[in-house]
Amino acid sequence: MSDAIIKTTGLSKEYGRGDTRVRALRGVDLEVPRGSFTCIVGPSGHGKSTLMHLIGGLDRPSGGSVSIDGQEMFTLKGKQLAELRAKKIGFVFQFFNLLQSLTAAENIEAALMLAGVPEVQQKQRARELLATVGLSDKVDAKPGQLSGGQQQRVAIARALANDPPVLLMDEPTGNLDSSAEAEVMTVLDELKRQGKTIILVTHSSEIAARASYLVKVRDGRIEEVVTSRQVLKKIA
Amino acid sequence: MTPNKLVYKNLTRRRGRFIFTLLGIVIGMASFVAFMAMGGSLKAEIERESAALGANLVVTPKGSCAYEQVSILTGEQLPTTITAAEVATIRAIEGMQAIPYLAERSAINNRPVSVMGVLPIETKEFKGWQIAKGVYFPTDDAEGAVLGAVLAEQFELEPGDQVRVRGTMLPVLGVLEETSGKDDLTIFLSLPQAQQLYQQNDLVSYVAVRVDKLDEVDLYAMKIKAQVSLGVVSDKQMLNSVLGIVGTVNVTLQLIAAVAILAAAFGIVNTMLTATYERKREIGILQAMGAARSTIFRLFLLESAIYGLLGGFGGAVLGLAGSFFVAPYISQNAATSFVKGSQTSVDPMLLLGAVFFSTLIAMLSGLYPAWKAAKLSPVEAISYE
Ligand SMILES: Nc1ncnc2c1ncn2[C@@H]1O[C@H](COP(=O)(O)OP(=O)(O)OP(=O)(O)O)[C@@H](O)[C@H]1O
Ligand SMILES: [Mg+2]
Repeated sequence: MSDAIIKTTGLSKEYGRGDTRVRALRGVDLEVPRGSFTCIVGPSGHGKSTLMHLIGGLDRPSGGSVSIDGQEMFTLKGKQLAELRAKKIGFVFQFFNLLQSLTAAENIEAALMLAGVPEVQQKQRARELLATVGLSDKVDAKPGQLSGGQQQRVAIARALANDPPVLLMDEPTGNLDSSAEAEVMTVLDELKRQGKTIILVTHSSEIAARASYLVKVRDGRIEEVVTSRQVLKKIA
Repeated sequence: MTPNKLVYKNLTRRRGRFIFTLLGIVIGMASFVAFMAMGGSLKAEIERESAALGANLVVTPKGSCAYEQVSILTGEQLPTTITAAEVATIRAIEGMQAIPYLAERSAINNRPVSVMGVLPIETKEFKGWQIAKGVYFPTDDAEGAVLGAVLAEQFELEPGDQVRVRGTMLPVLGVLEETSGKDDLTIFLSLPQAQQLYQQNDLVSYVAVRVDKLDEVDLYAMKIKAQVSLGVVSDKQMLNSVLGIVGTVNVTLQLIAAVAILAAAFGIVNTMLTATYERKREIGILQAMGAARSTIFRLFLLESAIYGLLGGFGGAVLGLAGSFFVAPYISQNAATSFVKGSQTSVDPMLLLGAVFFSTLIAMLSGLYPAWKAAKLSPVEAISYE
């Protein structure tokens, strides 16, 4: 894996002190190739979300490092780290991704605003992005007027707003039924085709089956990395 | 999307809370502005009355204090202890003009009015009065009354009518031109008649003195004191001590308003803190979208500043309207009685100052909630449900 867009070395994270100390990650070395679709799987409470938060620069590690595109992340100050999040990374979480007071289009415009895109260019871009996730008719809908699957597709469109090379999704379909999950998968296939680097935590075998790499996490460590040829076999 | 639009959307998402918080600051600022406006017009009115007195020195009974000085300017009843002999002594001093007044009260249709006994001819010249209707006192001891313009209009009195003063019907001789001071609300009698009606034989309330050479005011004050055992104040001293009293009243009122504003400020703190908790998860989302802590801080601070901006403007408008409509009702005591008949002036600086001040207060109130919001860790915020 020569062209790794994301690279973690000895990444560890502890929460709390003394008796309440939890070692959520215990030294994770991971390289994610550019343009790959990587799924992270593993039992509940074993550190998947923690790993995602560190890769996305939402939290700082107790030890080790993360680099994106060759840029060391945690040497950056808060403001620069925020800027890096705005430009290089798109996040989608399990639920309540959207700002409730804003419409679908406005949610995307807010992301563009934070990346410094002038207001005049925001509207057009928001419409284009909603079209790519098949929601051209929901431009002015508030989150409360959208189904779960539609909300997640808006969240994906928003994550794509600044055309980031990396998308981090933590159980994006964890809250959805199978038909809504299928809607989201269609969008994921399109993103894969476009060559986005996607790192996705999931409990769904349907989604895991589409992965080019399957990273199995257990007890805060990487237990096994499975490449695409073996993925289907493993799942079955 | 711009930060301002985002703030606007957030502000209006809880309409009820927005309106009640805003009302708090509007009411606080309105009372503040109303008291400021009334205080301001009171001050202007006192300065006008002081000028209308047309005197450089005022001779008052021995031992009179600031309250009597207020009364001279407001036309309240005064103790009358200055004798005719003392008046004559003062009037005999060369290089100055001295005019005695007897200040009394009467009532028309149960409404209190000022009655002044004056030396008709000298006072008219001293004050520069003009006659609007009818005639002026033909002689210095003429029978009858001359009325201030507003009083005549209020009680629909015309020359030839009768007016009852202390139980005695007197003919209305004439009506003065408006002076836009308290003279407009006064019944003038000749001094002998007033003294007789009020049984103040040979006594007057105060003597107004105008010196020929302004730079010798102090010298004349000493000359008067040397000859009669009475109080002498300069118009400037009197103005200062009266303004001092009014200032104290104003400060008290403004303190009350300040408490109201403080309460409103805590309303903003409360609302913004609630918003911080409610939007905890959204703050995390914004951070994941690339908002720096400083951006979150600014968004929240701007949100609370809007309360101050709108509240200051609404409060200023309501306060000015309030001072205009409420002022007549609080003009029942000496210190505030000037307000009647005076126009509340709309001072653009007061408006601007109110908006600026309340925005500042609101931003100070927003500091803590904004800081709370900004220091949320993204992971904590995102994990919150
Ligand atoms: N903020 C926190 N404070 C303390 N402990 C935490 C915190 N966040 C996570 N943990 C602990 O760290 C461990 C890993 O949590 P993490 O959320 O990464 O698990 P996960 O693999 O994402 O689980 P799930 O599949 O249920 O989402 C858990 O034991 C969890 O209790
Ligand atoms: Mg998780």
